[in-house]
Amino acid sequence: MRADRKELVGEVFCDVFEKVAFMFGEEAGREELSEAATEFIQAAMSFKGPFEGNLAIVVPDEMCPEIAANVLGMDLDDEIVKDQATDALKEVLNVICGNLLTEIAGEEPIFDLSVPLISKIDEAGWAAILDRPDAVGFLVDETPVVLMFSSEDDIG
Amino acid sequence: MAFNILVVDDSATVRAVIAKTLEIAEVPVNELYQAADGQEGLDALNEHWIDLVFADINMPVMTGIEMVEKMAADGLLKTIPVVIVSTEGSATRIEQLKAKGVSAYIRKPFTPEALKNVVDEIVGVQDEG
Repeated sequence: MRADRKELVGEVFCDVFEKVAFMFGEEAGREELSEAATEFIQAAMSFKGPFEGNLAIVVPDEMCPEIAANVLGMDLDDEIVKDQATDALKEVLNVICGNLLTEIAGEEPIFDLSVPLISKIDEAGWAAILDRPDAVGFLVDETPVVLMFSSEDDIG
Repeated sequence: MAFNILVVDDSATVRAVIAKTLEIAEVPVNELYQAADGQEGLDALNEHWIDLVFADINMPVMTGIEMVEKMAADGLLKTIPVVIVSTEGSATRIEQLKAKGVSAYIRKPFTPEALKNVVDEIVGVQDEG
């Protein structure tokens, strides 16, 4: 990923997490992310428009209810929080995607966004993700999170 | 006057957030109906009296755009104001939606004030303060 693109991804990610989930993120290096958890949840989506690409977010499994509680403004032990734990992660990804594409391409182009999908990732998968060139690592309220963004226009 | 409001979004989280935001913004709500896609939204519109619709764009089964097009083709449903609530920021898309009859567009993330302002503009509620 180009350096300027990585910086933009970081800015949008932190801004959306702050406004949607009231959680604060900062970019983090690989050494801060390596031993995060044993189970992870990934939300992934694609977009099509003037250029195409994919966006995915991976968080430790136990972080999903925390995100849902913050997005919904409810307590962690609330039943609705448990029910909507991964749904809230999908929504955070969806908002990041829309805002990131507008930052990159401006307000004229139309992009069609796919519905985000959820999958589970194990420790080996997490380690492989950290080595990907399209991955950007963050600490969100001190919890490791990775965002992967790949698009046709990101050359260089 | 309190309103019957329909929220159409495939995300239960977003539906809950809009419901809570309406409460925070002190929008008077009589009944709040929910639907998970455009088809469920049309079903709700045909079953209940609805004053205002909040709808997402990207949903499975039937998108928000398809739902708006079907509403526009119906003599009664086309009179119901629709507010699109979406993460998309394309001005071109917003113009297209308004040409199809959408009353307003709210971009995520949004504040309670933004939502209340849109409701006030559409239904003509005056701030009592």
